[in-house]
Amino acid sequence: MNGGRHISQEDLALYAMQALDGEELNALRAHLPTCALCREQLQEIAGDLTVLGLSVEQHPVPEAARQRFMESIAADSPARTTTPIVIAPEPARKRASGISWVPWAIAAALAIAVAGLGVKMRTLNEALQRQGSAMARATEENVHSQRVLRLLMAPSAQHVTLTTKKPSVEPTGHAIYLAERGELIFQGSNLKSLPEGKIYELWLIPADGRAPIPAGLFRPGKSGDASVVMPPLPAGVPAKAFGITIENAAGASTPTMPIVLSGAPDSQGE
Amino acid sequence: MMDSRKNPMDDLQRSKGDASSSLGRKEPDSHESDESLLNRVAEKDQKAMTSLFDRYGGLVYSVAMRVLRDSKGAEDLLQDVFFQLWRNPKSFLPSRGSLGAWLLVVTRNRAIDVLRRRRPMDSVDDYPISSGENIASKVEQGAMMQKVRTVLTSLPPEQRNAVELAYFEGLSQTEISERTGDPLGTVKTRIRLALISLRKALQA
Repeated sequence: MNGGRHISQEDLALYAMQALDGEELNALRAHLPTCALCREQLQEIAGDLTVLGLSVEQHPVPEAARQRFMESIAADSPARTTTPIVIAPEPARKRASGISWVPWAIAAALAIAVAGLGVKMRTLNEALQRQGSAMARATEENVHSQRVLRLLMAPSAQHVTLTTKKPSVEPTGHAIYLAERGELIFQGSNLKSLPEGKIYELWLIPADGRAPIPAGLFRPGKSGDASVVMPPLPAGVPAKAFGITIENAAGASTPTMPIVLSGAPDSQGE
Repeated sequence: MMDSRKNPMDDLQRSKGDASSSLGRKEPDSHESDESLLNRVAEKDQKAMTSLFDRYGGLVYSVAMRVLRDSKGAEDLLQDVFFQLWRNPKSFLPSRGSLGAWLLVVTRNRAIDVLRRRRPMDSVDDYPISSGENIASKVEQGAMMQKVRTVLTSLPPEQRNAVELAYFEGLSQTEISERTGDPLGTVKTRIRLALISLRKALQA
């Protein structure tokens, strides 16, 4: 194609779009690692192509997708720790040594003091913001705890035990579900560990025949235990059953067969 | 296209235009830089990750939708792209360009892989993405999308078609040639001319 010469702009553009094929692709693959100029041009072309992505019609992210993502990173997170707040010390200032330097020294000291105050104010502002966030989180956690307690004590909550179809298999799950409020707690036991990149996903199967609703992602610990507490679910959806599938780590919007655990409520609350 | 001092994706995110408003939700710490958020993500800060998701999720989802034309597939891809960033924030190197541009490239390439049910051929997203200086400095916040759309609609239909078949449909040059009935050389020329027009318009 090039006989050892540089790659054409056309081929670089096609390559950046993974649209180059045939001999030209082989020639480019051989040339590119040896040519900084062509790599630079590829970089520029790739930049031009990036803006093509901005031409597409914009779609807002579905709220359920956002929730699912937040669940998946929560399931993949260690327990959150509070970042200690560090207040930067005010910089030390040197004392002026000669009387002729007094005005300059005063000016310099003032400048340093102002700079130091600026740093301190910024740091304090950041600390304030973090404390505000921590307080908001604490409030959220408190509300969450109260909801959990209310669900556990609700006489009308449904209790569902999920097992494999074969009675001899040990993994089990137990779900407590309050349809009227869309509140759910699930506890799994003796669950098999999963390979890297896989995760369990709990599904609410509505009684009215609607599509299964994602009800949380989880990975069991070493003991095989896992739980899902208060996943975001719509209120007022009676459950026909609950099921668990194995999905890719980010979860899925529809279940991937097979269902590894399933169970139906015995009654409409007890 | 995008210079190292200022990230046009951030401009878009902050813009109030109708087009850019769908890029993501407003979040209280939207002023925090991508780099700072990524550093926090590296420490498994879920809030920082959520901020990045809100900042770029709409863009990623929209590109995935354009390529896949399937909301479920686009949603799964959205999850995968951001989960990868969560698991390995170091997979993005600032030297490759802006985070927004990189996410666009990664999303588009993965969507094409899904579309064609193929294994990735070459990791072209491993190459740096140039940040053309004058685009970031001259394009007003929120106007870039409209500008790119205007450029594309002003292109001769055959040029636009060639670029879209390659970029959004994932066709190879040979496939484009077969699809359109044009000689391979013509396909290449059209793509080159389209990109020249795009660059000129964005630099104007």
